[in-house]
Amino acid sequence: MTVLILTSDEDVTADMVVLRLHETGAPVVRLDPADLTSGVALSGEYIQGVYRGHVSVGGRLVSVNGLRSIWVRRPGVAAARAAQPTTWLTEESSQALYGMLRGTDARWMNHPDAARRARHKPWQLRLAQRSGLPVPATLITTFPQAAREFAERFPDLVVKPVSGAHPQEPPRAVPTSRVAPDTDFAAVAFGPTLLQRRVAKRADIRLTAVGDRLLAARKAVAPDADPNDVDVRFAPSTSTWAPVDVPPRVGAAVLTYLKEAELAYGAFDFAEDGDGIWWFLECNQSGQFGFVEMDTEQPIAHSIAEWLAHGAEPGRTYVNGARRATS
Amino acid sequence: MQPFTLNYARPAVQLEVISPYAYDSGLQLNVFPDGRIAATDHATLRALGTTTSTAGSKTHFDD
Repeated sequence: MTVLILTSDEDVTADMVVLRLHETGAPVVRLDPADLTSGVALSGEYIQGVYRGHVSVGGRLVSVNGLRSIWVRRPGVAAARAAQPTTWLTEESSQALYGMLRGTDARWMNHPDAARRARHKPWQLRLAQRSGLPVPATLITTFPQAAREFAERFPDLVVKPVSGAHPQEPPRAVPTSRVAPDTDFAAVAFGPTLLQRRVAKRADIRLTAVGDRLLAARKAVAPDADPNDVDVRFAPSTSTWAPVDVPPRVGAAVLTYLKEAELAYGAFDFAEDGDGIWWFLECNQSGQFGFVEMDTEQPIAHSIAEWLAHGAEPGRTYVNGARRATS
Repeated sequence: MQPFTLNYARPAVQLEVISPYAYDSGLQLNVFPDGRIAATDHATLRALGTTTSTAGSKTHFDD
């Protein structure tokens, strides 16, 4: 049974998992849907109640019925590198490839339907609440007056994109930013705005969930850090990520979240406050993990490879790297 | 009128990083010209930031 990895050639983070899969001897086929139809080929037939399909890349040919698992990592847009790419060809290629793969019994990390839903931050916030994770007070609105009233109630606010996307024309980044107390909220009317109570954090937490295995890392905020540097992706820092145990209640809530979201992988971001409470910020269903593994030496790539090649043992969970029975 | 959130936008850092490694379709891995596997060279990966959580990606917003 083969592991299929959908990602770009330059995805060196995926390499970390491919290496582990090679060590286990699991057959691997890696391809980028962008290379349909120049380098990647497919064929599927549905005849007399039987479905057969094949995908080939780089001299490798794999039966879709022989796929154990599919890892959707960083795939390019289907047929983007075709000789004559068009929007129509992309749609045709995407439907052909993903439609064929959806017809298999392979396990997905993550299934495209679950992945698409899981990208919605407002949905994440609600699921986190329902799962028992602390969520900072948040407002998503196009009403300026609602924003003003929220700011009166929670004077120390941050703003961030609802989607997590960043404008490209011209290319700009929108980090999570503090909102000054005297801010004019009139422009809230011109786009949905996500305002959130700022967590006075003493550390950032990245919890990487692979199946039932939870691996958390902590990056302490320096005592002299600028409180305006809210977004860890942009903040200057000399500290590194270090492994940290997952509090049992957080672990249980994260597993509930994953189950409800139907995710096999998730990278959770938390802000740890002065009382040690982990406040849920978001869950990236395809979040990066290489930088955490390199700092902490946590076996994230190994865990992903294990899940893809073998799957988790039913009835077991893995918290903080230790296996425990759940029933 | 500009949406409120874009008042906090900043120019994206456009790093034109030339990777010192290339994809080997036989190995299905990125390798250096001398044959070493890129994923095992953590110092280089750190320097390039290729495994890091980033913002402003054109193709993937949930990293």
